[in-house]
Amino acid sequence: MADNKDMDPMQLMRDWFVQSEKMWSDAMSDVMANERVAESSGRFMQEALHTQRMFSESMGQYLSNMNMPTRTDILDLKDRISQVEDSVNAVLVELRETRAAQPASAKASAPKKKPTRTKKAAPKKSA
Amino acid sequence: MNANTAQASDNASNYSQDEVDLRVDQVIRRAIDRNIPGLADIPQSESELEVGVSPKELVYSRETARLYHYESMSDEVYRVPLLFVMSPVAKGYIMDLAKGQSLVEYFLRRGHDVYMVDWIAPRANQKHLGFGNYVQDLVGDCVDKVVEDSGEADITLVGYCMGGILSACYTALNPNGPVKNLACFTTPINSDGMVLHKRWVSSSNFDIDRLIDELGNIPTELINQSMQALRPLQRNAGHLNLLNNVKNDEFVKAHLRFDRWAVDQLAMPGEFARDWTNDFLKKNLFVKNELELNGQKVDFGNITVPFLHVAASFDHIIPEASSKDLIGLVSSEDKEEIVVRGGHVSLVAGGNAMYRLWPKLDEWVSQRAE
Repeated sequence: MADNKDMDPMQLMRDWFVQSEKMWSDAMSDVMANERVAESSGRFMQEALHTQRMFSESMGQYLSNMNMPTRTDILDLKDRISQVEDSVNAVLVELRETRAAQPASAKASAPKKKPTRTKKAAPKKSA
Repeated sequence: MNANTAQASDNASNYSQDEVDLRVDQVIRRAIDRNIPGLADIPQSESELEVGVSPKELVYSRETARLYHYESMSDEVYRVPLLFVMSPVAKGYIMDLAKGQSLVEYFLRRGHDVYMVDWIAPRANQKHLGFGNYVQDLVGDCVDKVVEDSGEADITLVGYCMGGILSACYTALNPNGPVKNLACFTTPINSDGMVLHKRWVSSSNFDIDRLIDELGNIPTELINQSMQALRPLQRNAGHLNLLNNVKNDEFVKAHLRFDRWAVDQLAMPGEFARDWTNDFLKKNLFVKNELELNGQKVDFGNITVPFLHVAASFDHIIPEASSKDLIGLVSSEDKEEIVVRGGHVSLVAGGNAMYRLWPKLDEWVSQRAE
């Protein structure tokens, strides 16, 4: 075998994986689409939901006893921040509409010139 | 000394010291070339990786919808504004990935007046938003706002993935409305073509109602995993390919942007997930023209405006089998379907998109935008 001094065996392995990845992925997807696997996945999800609910409740009680916020508390906080963002967005939209409704002379800075809607399409190339 | 060691010793003695030094030097140089350029000039955090940079302003917001108007890049634009509708579970910056790799920028430079409906993650108290709310209220409001903001009575509606089905349903329900042209990319219409997801939700152990009761909104992690499961090893292959190209800064940055978007999915409101699972995946009502939204029947045969559907030849998320029926359902005289080489995401934002999809879409839209 010719001695290729630039050959990187790890690169060869990576190239092989990248090129054959679709074949392996398709094989895995075929397995996952099997009816038994689908049934098992569904059952697993039900159990996981049940386990998560039990864990959340017990952990929630523990955290409350420690006077620490639970995940629900933090998600509530996230929702409140999102509502504040909605209010800010509403103000931005209102400002934009107010600015647009002002006559040009009333605007502090020179109004930005809107483009004209007169562009025409290039003639269609014949087949 | 055993036979292997003796063999190794014999092999070593076949090489001169200079050859050994050269080989060691090459290995070290390769390691340095791979690591140091890979670290230099690469964003250290996601916040440094700029995406969605085309200047825009917020025009309207309601619930999870955000309507943006992009700043024009030309003095003259086509009369008919263009409204992109993103998929509700993905971020819109895939269409405006980076300067020079942006579908939005491409269209702005070619004289289109561009708007986009982008979405945000639903809050806990927004889990009641169903498919009908998205079509008639959110997309509907955004269409009306584009008409009002642009001053034009017509718009071109372009929907991507689930955004495409939202756009098609809206147009079907409002055949005399402002939609002058409709284009859909990789739009699911027939769930029989989405084998894996259909098999999972059809199993007797899958209970969407219990899932929604427990979780409210379907979390991002579940959306991500359901997408990854369609091609489980793709992400790993992507990371290995990154190692192969780590000396190429542009490749690394492009990879980081795509990778960020791929995991940056949005949660899905509970009712939307229920509607999608029952009406689309299980009962396949869309392709049968039997879907009803708030008492109104969605008949895609009501779509008579010029229609373009674009499918990707290597799309594993929305295979051609799940999207090809849409063109046959619409009644438009001016309708066309094209299959472009690429995947679900690279169709819109890949390096070759600017040579494949973008020019075709620009030509189609501009011919109908006066």
